[in-house]
Order: sequence, then structure tokens, then C-alpha cells
Amino acid sequence: MSTAVEPTPFSIAGTQTRLVQAGPPEASEAVVFVHGNPGSADDWAALAAAAGEAGVRAVAFDLPDFGEAVAPAGFEHTVLGYATFLATALEELGVERVHLVIHDFGGPIGLVWAAMHPDSLASVTLIDTGILPGYRWHRLARIWRTPVLGELFQATATRRAFRRLTGRNEPRGLPREFLDRMYDHYDRRTRRAVLKLYRATDDPGAAGTEFAALMAPRDIPALVIWGEHDAYLPAKYATRQRDAFPSADVHVLPASGHWPYADAPQTVERLLVGFLERVTQDRANQTPNVPQSPS
Amino acid sequence: MPQTTKEPGPQSTDYDAIVVGGSLAGCTAAIMLGRAGARVALVEKQPDPKAFKRICSHFIQASAVPTLERLGLLDRIESTGAVRSRIHIWTRWGWIEPPESVPGVNLRRELLDPLMRETAAETAGVELLLGHTATGLLRTGDATSGVTVRDQGDEVIALRARLVVGADGRDSRVVEWAGVDEKTLPHGRFAYGAYFDGPLPTNAPDSTIWFLDPQWAAAFPTDSGLTFYAAMPTKERLPEFKRDPRGELISFMANLPEPPPIQAERQVGPMLGKVEMPNRVRKVVGPGLALVGDAALATDPLFGVGCGWAVQSAEWLSDCVAPALCGEEPLERGLSRYRRRHRSELRGHAFFIHDYATGRRMQPPERMLFSAAVRDRKVAEALESMATRRTKPVRTIAKVMPRAIAVNARHALTRRSGESPVAAAHAPRRVGE
Repeated sequence: MSTAVEPTPFSIAGTQTRLVQAGPPEASEAVVFVHGNPGSADDWAALAAAAGEAGVRAVAFDLPDFGEAVAPAGFEHTVLGYATFLATALEELGVERVHLVIHDFGGPIGLVWAAMHPDSLASVTLIDTGILPGYRWHRLARIWRTPVLGELFQATATRRAFRRLTGRNEPRGLPREFLDRMYDHYDRRTRRAVLKLYRATDDPGAAGTEFAALMAPRDIPALVIWGEHDAYLPAKYATRQRDAFPSADVHVLPASGHWPYADAPQTVERLLVGFLERVTQDRANQTPNVPQSPS
Repeated sequence: MPQTTKEPGPQSTDYDAIVVGGSLAGCTAAIMLGRAGARVALVEKQPDPKAFKRICSHFIQASAVPTLERLGLLDRIESTGAVRSRIHIWTRWGWIEPPESVPGVNLRRELLDPLMRETAAETAGVELLLGHTATGLLRTGDATSGVTVRDQGDEVIALRARLVVGADGRDSRVVEWAGVDEKTLPHGRFAYGAYFDGPLPTNAPDSTIWFLDPQWAAAFPTDSGLTFYAAMPTKERLPEFKRDPRGELISFMANLPEPPPIQAERQVGPMLGKVEMPNRVRKVVGPGLALVGDAALATDPLFGVGCGWAVQSAEWLSDCVAPALCGEEPLERGLSRYRRRHRSELRGHAFFIHDYATGRRMQPPERMLFSAAVRDRKVAEALESMATRRTKPVRTIAKVMPRAIAVNARHALTRRSGESPVAAAHAPRRVGE
């Protein structure tokens, strides 16, 4: 296991956020981690370090109003708003070639970014997320999407209730410190952002087919990791990712839930690092004389 | 159409018993009946004495160890390289470590089957007919009175006996010819496995089973430094396995919690797979007919009972019918005793096995028992004795369940004070406790 990289304060696209960075800092090819809800750059600290040790630049940051990030006034809490933020952030960080690693709600955000920048996408790693054709929102999301009920739920989500509710759906529970950190970041700003984001996303399965039709001919290298016992996004979607990424290497972890990087960190690290080594190696073999110029 | 010959009137018999199928159950039945003084024909279609069953996890449960001892084979099995194994079980609550008890036996069928057949051939009174394929049953009235066999020269021979023993496995032809009542119960998993050579799994020489609920995987260290890795996922995973059986088996094992070192190992021999394996429950006796092993009861291989029950059921049959074959009592009485014995020994186990075989997840009482077994040695001992088929399930569960409930209640109360579930699941293992 790699030692986690500590996040540092950073300003991207007018948002005060935190950046986790590892590996060669100037490289224009990078592994870009996008967290879900409720998540933060901290989710990726260990995996970013592992990617860095494998010689690849890795970046992760808090999305606006998640983790410790504060969104600027007028920020649009929609998938498109977040995808636009991601595009601007990558531009500012000088990342041109992206190995996208996405989890949960980071999925729609990352995939919309990918649809807008298909030529920049070098590979994709989907962790309990991806295209979700025919998917109906999970129960918690339906609560969030209901006016008044959502607000009530958010107002009554105490640390203990949060810990119980989140841990209960996980086959092996989650480490206490992981749950506590997630709750620490689940402040009023994040709770408001969650309501806005879920209410703006009517159909999480929308455009999956169109996205697949756009992406499939490119046959972008893909790694899919899914916890079999995911209570929010069913593991049956794991193999469906081949609709968009036909050569995807699919791993359904039989003892994991919605957060495989928290309940099976070594397995996720081994799969991700192995995958990154393969795709960067393949690319190096294809273009042996074209060094990546730092921006 | 089966080649069934109806013969009127009483016939003189060539043998006391004809055993169809020279695998574990058939050889055991032949050896034990032969030793009891019966004249036995052991009919085996494979001409090669070294032939063996290929798709088998080869684990012999502790319940069958006394039978192997009685056969006088345990020492030979061990000197052939068998590994004596207990079982460590991974559950999402932590590890269930095996108590100090009788270990099971791991020896590849490639070595075990020839040994059994050799012993049968050496037994006085047993005539081993290799390369003879049974083609039908002989009937006298309603009773089975013999078997027709075709030898390698394509000649059909009629063999007569007072008792025909069907030991021809899960897809028994004897069952079909005799029109035995059969119940088929669904199976929701499939199996893939292979032998690997290289670094041994952590618990070696003990075996390891991962109860991933509903998925299942196992590592059985065996003779010659090999390990048999087996995965029994639910059917929705089948397309992935069919795409690339070897790659999928390796990644399935490597993705397990506390995985075995399969990626550092080299596969030896072919990939073995079986997709359809419905449970088959048969009426184990008929007039002049008895069934043993998988022919009598073919259950889910997930619990590794096939080999053990093969030799045990053959032992029960032999004990029950030997007096009749020696002329001390009517055959029906012996057969009826065997039917009761088979039912009493295996019915409870089979009920639970068949229910879990559908591919479902564990139900609350099962979760209660498994989680308590992680936390309490006495519950672990009870679970182990039941899982190695040394005690009957209903009695064991009734006895241990109150303790399991108390253990879990205590655990729930103490956990409130701080420890996270995942921390408990990953706590240092209490090996040998």
C-alpha cells in the first residue's frame, strides 16, 4: 500500500479547493480522480500516491461545495456545471491527456467531460459508476429529490445516523475514520449542493446509449471495478460498461460494497496501478519518439 | 431404448452383487461386499485402470475418514502424498478458524481413483471388469436381476446377481433404466477450477473457503505441492467466465479478500468447468437394486460432500446388505435398512445444501451462525462438526443457536463502545486459538 498524499489548499477556476497531487508535477498526461457524493479529494489520497509511484502524474481535487471546497457565487450545481468546472480545472493544471478515474456521481460528471473532450481521454477507470441505462434512482436519492423531505433528511442527518445508515448497507462496514471524514465534509454547504445536484438530475440513465454510441468506436482502454454488494448502483451495470468501452477489463469485487477503495483498498490499488502501467506502456510502445511536452 | 431383458422364473445367479461404476462409491461397495464374503462383479466402462474422474474438487470430508481407515486405505492414501486439511472459512465478519479435530483428506483423483480400483481388484471375491459398459438391466418380474454389459470386443454379456448396485454417478444410467423415482432441485451456481503449482496459499496445508455470499471460492492444497482453486459464482457471472475461463478464474481468486497467491502460480492441467449441476434426489433402493454415491444423491459440490458421501453410502450399503447376501436374511430387509440409514444420515444435510444451492444469499439464521462462529470457539466447533458432516444439522443447530444469539448480542453491545465493523473484519487472525 502506498502512503497517502496530503491534500493542499489550491484555487481552481475561482473555487477555493484542495489538491492532491503525486508523480511528475509538470506532465501533461495525468490520472485525474473525480470523487462522488459525499466524497472529497481525500478519497483518492492513497491511490494518487500509488499512481505517482508508478511514474504517472496524479491529480485529485474537491469538487465545488464538496470536501472543503467553496463554490463561487452563481456556480451551477448540475452535472454540466461540474463537468465544466472539471474542464477548466484540467486546463489550469495543464493536463491534456487524461486517465480518468471516477466514482459514484463523479461518473456522470467525468463522462460528460469525456463526451466533450473525447480526444483528451487516454483511458477510463470506472469505480461503481458509469453508464446506467434504465437506472432508477436509489431510495436515498429519491428522498433527496423530494422537496421538504430532502431538506428534513439533511437537517436530521447526525453523525451517528449517517454512520449507521452508510455503514449498514455495506457488506463489511466501512472503516470508522473513513465514515467520520466523510461526515466531517458533509457540512451544510455540501448538503445544499447535494439537494441541488440530485434535483437537477432527473434521469441518471439519460444519454447513456448516445454516449456509448459515441465512445464505443474509439475503444478506449477501460477498467471497471464494482462492488458486488453496492446498495446504490447495482453491480449488474459493471459489464454494461462494455457498451461504451468494448475492451473494458471488468472486475466485480465479491466482498465489496459501494466504496471498494475503502473496503478493499489493496485490490483496487493493484488493479488500478496494473491497468495504468499497461495503458501507459502501450502508449509508450506506440509512440516511442514523441515525448510528452510539459505545458 | 435401454436394452432390458425380461426373464421369466427364477434364475441362477453369477454373482451376489454387480456394482455398475468403478469410481469411489463403486470401488468401496465392491471392496466391502467382497470382504464380507460376497461374489462381486465391478463393472467399469473405462479400460484403463488409471482412469479417473476429472471434474472434482477431490476434498474428502472428515466424516469419511473412518471409512477410509476401515478400507485400510488411509495409510496408502497418505503415503501417496495426500494432504490432511482442516478448513478456514472467510466470512464478511472475519475468519472462522477450524478447531483441533479430524482433518479431511486432499488427494487428486488422478492418484486416488487408481488406488481404489487397485484395492478393489486385489480383494478376494471381487471381479473387476474394466472396459465393460453396462447397456441395460435384466429384470425378473419387477425385480432387477442383473446387468447386460458390452465388452471391448463389442460382445454383449448378461451378468446375473441378486443385487445390482448403481454407482454410476450424477447422471446415472442405472437410475434411468430402472425407472427410479427422482427429484431434481435447481442449482443457481456454476463451477470452474484448475490445479496450480507455485507458492502455497496462506493456510496451507489447510484448505480455505471464501463464503462471499452469494459468491464462493476455495483453495485446496493437495499432493505434489499443487493447489486446486475453485470458484462457484452465481449464474449471472457465467458470460464473463465463458469469455475467458482461465483469466476470469485467476482474477476472481486474486480479487478475493486476503487473496491466495494464484497470480504467482502456474496452471497445471486443464481448466475444469461445469455449468449445470442440478441436485438429484433418488429413491435409493428398489427390488434387487441399490444406489450409492452421486447416483443415490447428487448434491451441490459447494459443500464438498460428494467424495465423502460416496464412500460412506457404499459402506452403509455394504453393512446393511452383507448379511442378506450371505444368506442370513431376505435381501429386502437389508435394502430397507440401507434406505433408512441413508435417509437418516443425509436427509438433514441435503435439505440445507439444496436450499443454499439455488444461489441465494444467506438467511438470517445462517448469518447468525456464521458470524457467531467467527466470534466464539464453541460455535465454531459446532459449525465445523456439522460442515465436516460429523454431526447432523438439525440437532447441532438446535443446540448451538442459543449460544450464537448470546454471542452476537454481546458483540453488538460491546461494539457500540467504539470498534468499527470493518476493523473487526480485518482484525489480526486468531490462528490456532
